Amino acid sequence: MKREDFPFLGFGVGLRRDHYVHILETHPQIDWFEILSENFMVAGGRPLEVLDGICERYPVVMHGVSMSIGSTDPLRREYLRELKALARRAEPAWISDHLCWTGVGGRNLHDLLPLPYTPEVVRHVAARIGEVQDFLERPILIENVSSYMAFNDSTMTEWEFLAEIAERADCGILLDINNIFVSAFNHRFDARAYIDAIPIERVIQFHLAGHSDHGTYLLDTHDQPVRDEVWNLHAHAVRRFGAVSALIEWDDNIPEFGVLMETANKARTIHESVVAEAPRDAVRSQLG
Amino acid sequence: MPSDLNWVERLLYRLITAPSGVAEGLAQEKSLEHGGLAQIIVGDDRLSAEERVDIYANMYFYRILDVLKEDFPATLTMLGAERFHNLVTGYLIEYPPAHFSISYAGEHLADFIRGHPLREEFPFLADLARMERALVEVFHAADAKPLDAEHLRAIAPADWPSLNLKLHPAHQVLELEWNVAATLDAVEQGEEPSQPARDDIRMLVWRNRNRVFYRAIDRAERDQMALLSKGTTFAEICEVIARGVDEEDPAVAINQCLEVWLRDGLLRILSCATTN
Repeated sequence: MKREDFPFLGFGVGLRRDHYVHILETHPQIDWFEILSENFMVAGGRPLEVLDGICERYPVVMHGVSMSIGSTDPLRREYLRELKALARRAEPAWISDHLCWTGVGGRNLHDLLPLPYTPEVVRHVAARIGEVQDFLERPILIENVSSYMAFNDSTMTEWEFLAEIAERADCGILLDINNIFVSAFNHRFDARAYIDAIPIERVIQFHLAGHSDHGTYLLDTHDQPVRDEVWNLHAHAVRRFGAVSALIEWDDNIPEFGVLMETANKARTIHESVVAEAPRDAVRSQLG
Repeated sequence: MPSDLNWVERLLYRLITAPSGVAEGLAQEKSLEHGGLAQIIVGDDRLSAEERVDIYANMYFYRILDVLKEDFPATLTMLGAERFHNLVTGYLIEYPPAHFSISYAGEHLADFIRGHPLREEFPFLADLARMERALVEVFHAADAKPLDAEHLRAIAPADWPSLNLKLHPAHQVLELEWNVAATLDAVEQGEEPSQPARDDIRMLVWRNRNRVFYRAIDRAERDQMALLSKGTTFAEICEVIARGVDEEDPAVAINQCLEVWLRDGLLRILSCATTN
């Protein structure tokens, strides 16, 4: 994959049911939408009607939660077939899912669970991403997840694991800035060191979201505004990666659409101010 | 496939879904004799290995509970939050999610209720859950272009008898023992629901213009739906309607049926000599 093969979409928000009517009736000025693939992998009805209406007016990307790329179960062909069919309909700029496992033994936990960071798991996951990319006939993006547990068997850092898999599988990276912040607290690592170790040419998209503080750990809840510390980390990421399409995720306690627009515009403002302050050879050369 | 990874994933799956929590699940794990979970998962001064897995166990249960609350609002209302919570706890043990989409998490809830002790106190509950699940399934069911009156008028009358008709795929007919419609209506409108009445009843659930509706139908219409569901000709369905009429003019009865089905978007054309 080449970074220039992926368009810079600007600053978007996740499409959520609460906003369907508002978006379809008022056509707000937002750069792009990310859809949750599984919400639209249905036979028919309102979701697909909404999707068609959105795709007519806005660039869309597909973001999944059920590929279970790190599972030791075989890849689900039925899932991939439906994903590919949805991609034919939505014509997304790209498709992404998470670097995690979501179930085993034919059962689904409907959660994004971390993996041990070992060379053996790197080979396992990279091979499966290759299979998926061959089936979908396009490169995919994998996203770092928030995690609350880590494995004693790990012999690599999370960022080495992510970078190595992306290299081996030749796929893109969806870098979730909030997830880095959450996991950095939960596992006591340096969030900036994580960002600084990710290969620039692999990063196609950012996620930004809110989390909740449970004292002994942070939880990736997507139910509140993006915290200042995450915005600061976002600025750091923009300095490193340059023009990367950024997306606001908000899944619970969902505010009015205007609040999401303001949050997306804040990401834009940070991006523009970082670009304005950056030395020519540090960021501008990456803007394409 | 790394064998260690498979072992770890299966272990974590068992712990996260353990009915009485991670601690009890751990007590059952023979393979973790030396060093326990801390051998596998990193613990620290903030959270032990067990507490870290507990975070996932809680998220697993509450994420699915939230989806089921949304899909079964009337069942939840009639049971109350605590009993619904306990019902879901038992349900997930017997029917752990397998489908890739969480929207399927509630597909067996009515079956589970059918054999649950709660049915003693709430004998209508399985029917209520079945109706609520049907509403979800019909909402997502396949699309088809419905037949409308204008389309029918464009077909030469001579071709009507051989017209192949079928029910729109977004429909279900449920045979129920309790009339749960009023309970569903009350919950939807935020009113205090009453207990459903015992009544052998047939409910048609269908989608029209992407909205889901339901209404009780009589046995004659149930049979007509069954015929239309398989696919039939215009002549045959008219004959079936006419056979069910006692003193009424068959033409009036046929007209009334067609008018309602066309209005509700229940029919679609499979093929016709002068259409397509």
